[in-house]
Amino acid sequence: MEAVQRRKGLLPYLLLAPGLGWLLVFFAIPLGYMAYESLKAGTIDTGFSFSWEFSNYTHAISTYKEQFVRSFEYAGLATLLSLVIGYPLAYVIAFRGGKWRNALLLAVILPFFVTYLIRTLSWETILDDESWVVDTLKAAGLVSNDGRVLDTTASVVAGITYNFLPFMILPLYASLERIDHRLLEAAYDLYGKRRAVFTRVTLPLSMPGVVAGVLLTFIPAAGDFVNATLLGTPRQAMIGNVIQSRFQVIADYPSAAALSFILMGLILVLVLAWARFAGTESLMGSEPR
Amino acid sequence: MSQRPTNDFERIFEELVRDEMTRRHLIRRGAAGALSLSAIAYLAACGETGGGKEESKVIPKGQLSKTLYVANWPLYIDSKNPNKGTLGKFKKKYGASVKYVEEINDNDQFFGKVRQQYDRGSSGGRDLHVVTDWMAGRMQRLGYVQKLDKSQLPNVQKNLLDKLRHPSFDRNRDYTAPWQGIQAGIIYRKDKVKRTPKSVNDIFDPDYKGKTTMLTEMRDTVGLVMLGMGEDPETFSGVDPALKAIDKIDKAAKSGQVRRFTGNEYTKDITKGDSWLIYGWSGDAIQLQADNPNIDFVQPDEGWIYSNDNMQVPVGAPHAFTGEKFIDFVYRPEVQAPIAAYVNYVTPVKGVKEILEKQDPELASSQLIFPSGETLKRAKIFRDLKPDEERKVNEAFQKVIGA
Repeated sequence: MEAVQRRKGLLPYLLLAPGLGWLLVFFAIPLGYMAYESLKAGTIDTGFSFSWEFSNYTHAISTYKEQFVRSFEYAGLATLLSLVIGYPLAYVIAFRGGKWRNALLLAVILPFFVTYLIRTLSWETILDDESWVVDTLKAAGLVSNDGRVLDTTASVVAGITYNFLPFMILPLYASLERIDHRLLEAAYDLYGKRRAVFTRVTLPLSMPGVVAGVLLTFIPAAGDFVNATLLGTPRQAMIGNVIQSRFQVIADYPSAAALSFILMGLILVLVLAWARFAGTESLMGSEPR
Repeated sequence: MSQRPTNDFERIFEELVRDEMTRRHLIRRGAAGALSLSAIAYLAACGETGGGKEESKVIPKGQLSKTLYVANWPLYIDSKNPNKGTLGKFKKKYGASVKYVEEINDNDQFFGKVRQQYDRGSSGGRDLHVVTDWMAGRMQRLGYVQKLDKSQLPNVQKNLLDKLRHPSFDRNRDYTAPWQGIQAGIIYRKDKVKRTPKSVNDIFDPDYKGKTTMLTEMRDTVGLVMLGMGEDPETFSGVDPALKAIDKIDKAAKSGQVRRFTGNEYTKDITKGDSWLIYGWSGDAIQLQADNPNIDFVQPDEGWIYSNDNMQVPVGAPHAFTGEKFIDFVYRPEVQAPIAAYVNYVTPVKGVKEILEKQDPELASSQLIFPSGETLKRAKIFRDLKPDEERKVNEAFQKVIGA
């Protein structure tokens, strides 16, 4: 009896083992190593040695505050834009898509069969100073005559929005599509106006999608540096650009590691705050049915 | 060393950026470097850096090997087929088949790739690599390269340009031999500028606001701006002149005068008209000109920055002796001529011009490819920075260019 029970007790752990092993080897150990690296002192010429160098962190924050703030601003803006653009789209696909639903979803994902870099580079070409897009915008008075679109804050934020939009649309669609139509019918039966039905039934029921979409968009956007590199100038540099250059150009590995940890910590704090605000139930998707 | 996970990414990116025009620094430091998305994963792979190796020994005489591994920048030789062109001739003469790998796109990136191997005293199979002056200096400081046996390099002794014989990072050329030289000056659009640029300071002309770019290669950009401020990048003392120049660059970047800082990607900007007057490399300008006659290169009145990519034999190179033979081989003028004719950079080998005069007089008369001794006097080689100087200047510059 006891042996059987013990085996039963062991089984869940055995099932967990591959996942835990993966996490350990590819997440925990590298992370630990990075933490170790971030506390070293030295230069590439003298070599780096471990010395509990916490000043790497304070120095990184004070020196690169501007880029941190900018990263979160851009990521926040891009997330908001994605939500504003993505929600109506997901709504239409989920409720009005009919037989075209799958085709429409495919159309959302289709551009993403091409790599991230190439899509961003294409934008660089589309938004060239002498491209017809910019000429048209100038003619329409949306861009001043000596103005430009490429290499501005707008182009960077637009690039981030574009690149992460599907991560917003897909979870939104998934949660909208799951909504039980009988609930909407019931709301209308109770003389709910369209607007009230949306704000009091549809929207609350789609919150898990909103929460997940915001997380999936915001987190990678905050660490992104490709858009700032290709569509921006130094004045649009994000924290990802700093980490890349500290690591690869200046070869200051400890400060690059420290910056990565700070970024991770800040994102974690924001995510926890967001989860608290939005409620963990909606995060887990266990909304009342 | 296992391949980095982003390799595919980078390759696709490079292929996209590399139009046929671009020869070597397709992405000297700019985008490809920036786009190694694996920085974090990569961090985990970093070991301790040893630094400060014992005095390196002169390469001993040995047997010629059957193979030779040469690591170089893309499009930097007439053919990479071991049976054709320069490599074919080498094989015929010495019997070694050259494995020519175009694995260097960026000095820093290459350093990141080989650092751990070289630190362990292993070259990763490489017998020769080609890096820019300052990186060659760093490799030497860290004890990552072997001392060359000059008695094996008679052609280098005889034919190396005088200007290049005593660079500050390697006073007697004990560790390096130049592969090709690069001139950084002004590239401009004839149809956009109001007059032909003459001064390095023309880049600060308010009429070109937002239509200028500078190079991410610190020495080229800082050196050019320093020249405009009356400083000599070859001999300045301390780091203040460089920091002052960086300050000036910072103001120009903040005001929007300078649109952005690029590696070789500037070729696209200037072709499309996003930029009109930029700091760029002569070899690119010559190639761009072929497609767009409105593009031209200027050697500014104050001078311009001249740097070289250098061959070095890394520690633990399995065929160091054959590597030396290769270095000496490309210093034969008749061997160098086809390379020089192909790459359009400044050849470090004397006697090549005379050979090409017979084959391609127009090419041979170009001051951009074969600058005369007089012209070369105005070309400045950025002085070697001590490690702490390099760190200070680099840090200040990286901050300005957005990182």
